[in-house]
Amino acid sequence: MIEVRDLTKLYGNLVAVDGLSFAVAPGEVLGLVGPNGAGKTTTLRSLVGIIRPTRGTISIGGRDLQRDPVAAKRQLAFIPDEPRLFEYLTVEEHLRFTARLYGVGQGDADRRIPALLSELELTEKAGAVPDELSRGMKQKLAIACGLLHEPQALLFDEPLTGLDPAGMRRMKQTIVERARVGAAVILSSHLLHLVEEICTRVLVIHRGRLVALGTIAEIVAARPDLQGKTLEEVFLALTERGSDA
Amino acid sequence: MIGAALYLARRSFANAMRRRLARLRQPKYLVAFAVGVLYYYWLILRPRSSDGGPGFPLIAGEVIAILGLAALAATNWLFGSSRSPFAFTPAETHFLFTAPLTRRQVLDFKLLRSQLPIFLSSLLSVLLFSGGHFPATRIMRVLGLWLVFATLQMHTGVAALVRQSLEEHGVTAVRRRLGVFTVVAVVAALTVLTVRRELPGLQAAFTLDPRIGFDALSAVLHRGVLGVVVWPLAALVRPALAPDLAGFVARLPAALLVVAFHYVWLVRSSLAFEEVAVEAAERMARRIAAWRSGRRLAPVEGRGKRARRALTRLAATGSPARAIAWKNVQAEWRGSGVRLPVIIGIGVVVVAWVASLGEAAGTGLQVLATLFLIFGGMTLVFGPYVLRNDLRSDLLLWDLLKGYPVRGADLVAGEALGPVTILTAVAWACLFGAFATSLLLDLPAFPVSDRVAALLAAAIAAPVVISVTTLIQNAAALLFPAWVTLGPARTAGIEVIGQRLLTMVGSLVLMGIALIPALLVAALGVAVGGLAGLDGAWRAVPGAIGLAATLGVEARLALAWLGRVFDRSDPAAELVG
Repeated sequence: MIEVRDLTKLYGNLVAVDGLSFAVAPGEVLGLVGPNGAGKTTTLRSLVGIIRPTRGTISIGGRDLQRDPVAAKRQLAFIPDEPRLFEYLTVEEHLRFTARLYGVGQGDADRRIPALLSELELTEKAGAVPDELSRGMKQKLAIACGLLHEPQALLFDEPLTGLDPAGMRRMKQTIVERARVGAAVILSSHLLHLVEEICTRVLVIHRGRLVALGTIAEIVAARPDLQGKTLEEVFLALTERGSDA
Repeated sequence: MIGAALYLARRSFANAMRRRLARLRQPKYLVAFAVGVLYYYWLILRPRSSDGGPGFPLIAGEVIAILGLAALAATNWLFGSSRSPFAFTPAETHFLFTAPLTRRQVLDFKLLRSQLPIFLSSLLSVLLFSGGHFPATRIMRVLGLWLVFATLQMHTGVAALVRQSLEEHGVTAVRRRLGVFTVVAVVAALTVLTVRRELPGLQAAFTLDPRIGFDALSAVLHRGVLGVVVWPLAALVRPALAPDLAGFVARLPAALLVVAFHYVWLVRSSLAFEEVAVEAAERMARRIAAWRSGRRLAPVEGRGKRARRALTRLAATGSPARAIAWKNVQAEWRGSGVRLPVIIGIGVVVVAWVASLGEAAGTGLQVLATLFLIFGGMTLVFGPYVLRNDLRSDLLLWDLLKGYPVRGADLVAGEALGPVTILTAVAWACLFGAFATSLLLDLPAFPVSDRVAALLAAAIAAPVVISVTTLIQNAAALLFPAWVTLGPARTAGIEVIGQRLLTMVGSLVLMGIALIPALLVAALGVAVGGLAGLDGAWRAVPGAIGLAATLGVEARLALAWLGRVFDRSDPAAELVG
């Protein structure tokens, strides 16, 4: 579903991402981890089409993101760590607006919007503008907008930021549920316990390069010295050399 | 306390200057700085042939200053923002409100800190009108203006607090200050009645001789109810207008009394609305910081007010461009605050007043028609600079926009279409208003059929002219995001003035280039109309069609290009720099 080949992004002389290649199959949750400045955000922003890669190809559901960005983006949703909302649109209007941009259609929109509002406990706030929402509610609205068009590829950047414990649990359930129904999910987070809990595979990057890719068991198996260590210790061992975080 | 405030002001000023100087290493800032310096040289220091022109009566100066100040104060109360000019920055909130200071000391601190920029503004204002000469006595003017500006700022602060309180507490706040509002309403009504009664006499005096007119106006302003209303304004402006040092000293006590009154008023109001003020100040400061960061969506002022109902419901299917335009129209509608209802209210009052003038209605209707045309013209020329709910706002949500499955050209079109729709509606309303008003007038030199032709031609040309101007502004934001103010953030500095000048000149040049072929085609249209047998003003209609068609083609080409630019460019990288 998500296929990345030789993804490279340069900012002048700075190499933000260096020849990254990986794939995420439907139903899979890939954890993207790395220290600060490793290139996680650049990778995610490239995958969503926000940034144009210097080199390499990105394919979403068989559509090349560079050649056919509109078709590729229709299958994609990006949920950023900080909700980006329009200050003068209400909760429901955000969803209607998103439905229109993604070509959801009247019938599907009328069916999905109340369901999403209910699922994310936003029904009572349907007429509220972001000004009237708490941080957590704004995050839920951003998620609702992301899920509305039933994307086949989902990208989450620090999805638990700003959520209360109940919200965190629901978010984790949402991610797992979307993967269960066939979406390919990439989750970028510094919360290693979250990655360990819900990701089927982990991609560790450091200084823009792929350091490790696979299940935690596969990664540990490839490094006998890491046997019996916690994920945190594994992560530090993989990224500590020369880390500038 | 005072020492701390002065230290902060001094160090902040010095560090800001150092940072700006360091920024000049970048060519884009250096060029802009050079342009800014040239602009200020031209404005202030360029040699001028005469230093005052024909003798300007002092009484006229005072009257104009009083009326100007009254207009500013009224504008402030009617259309002003609820954002206090004394908003605290997050750092100030963190350091001052947790420090062992009373709330009043915190306010004093803020007031003191704001004096340096006010003094510099006064100095600059005096320099602007100094004609290149700055004798020592001009310092009186600077000090006088400083008093005026400082008081005006405090007045704005009080107005903002009252407005905030009204928005927070609504009817409760009105009820709480019912007495004050009643007094204000009675004074306003008496003022209007006095003006209306004195108007014929004043008209006659001005017709006779402007000097006599100003004398008569001054006399009216200083007697009866008006005298009471005008006294603080007159007391405040008089030191700045004093002819000599002795006059300045003699006028100072009354002015200081007004300043002191405002200080007490502000402090009492601030303490009364303390929570509202601090919360709003914090939110505002956070908002500005967020906008400036260019990374996050700015949280809006959390006043807890409900959103206005949408003007129209967004259809579930259709072009993405129209959806984006719809979003921008909603933003303008919901973001206009109380201004829109107030403007509509004033419009209704003006129309009703004109209609009530009886025999004098003819003149009133002429004035009304002219006002419609002026407002329509201003909408056409300045509207695209004022309404900014397009890429100039949304580029701060650039990553969100880039994530949408929408072609760049559609996105840019949608962004520009929002303000274009509103401005076109306003321009058409003004044109129709002028036309409808003119139907009540007898204008033999401008028959009704010609008026219909003029209305049609203007109505055809207006939307495309607005579109092209708006598109140019959006192009500037897209191509030079670091040079265009995105969102509400305001930056200062000579290089910023230079950047704005360059952007403005660039926009004008582009508009000129766009208009050349359009005007040629328009002229062709007029000629064809003549050949086809159209009379007089009716030839303007094919001319307007030619103009609109040419500008329309240009706009489409520009959209296609800007769409490609949007798809390829990375404004965030520019903004970060």
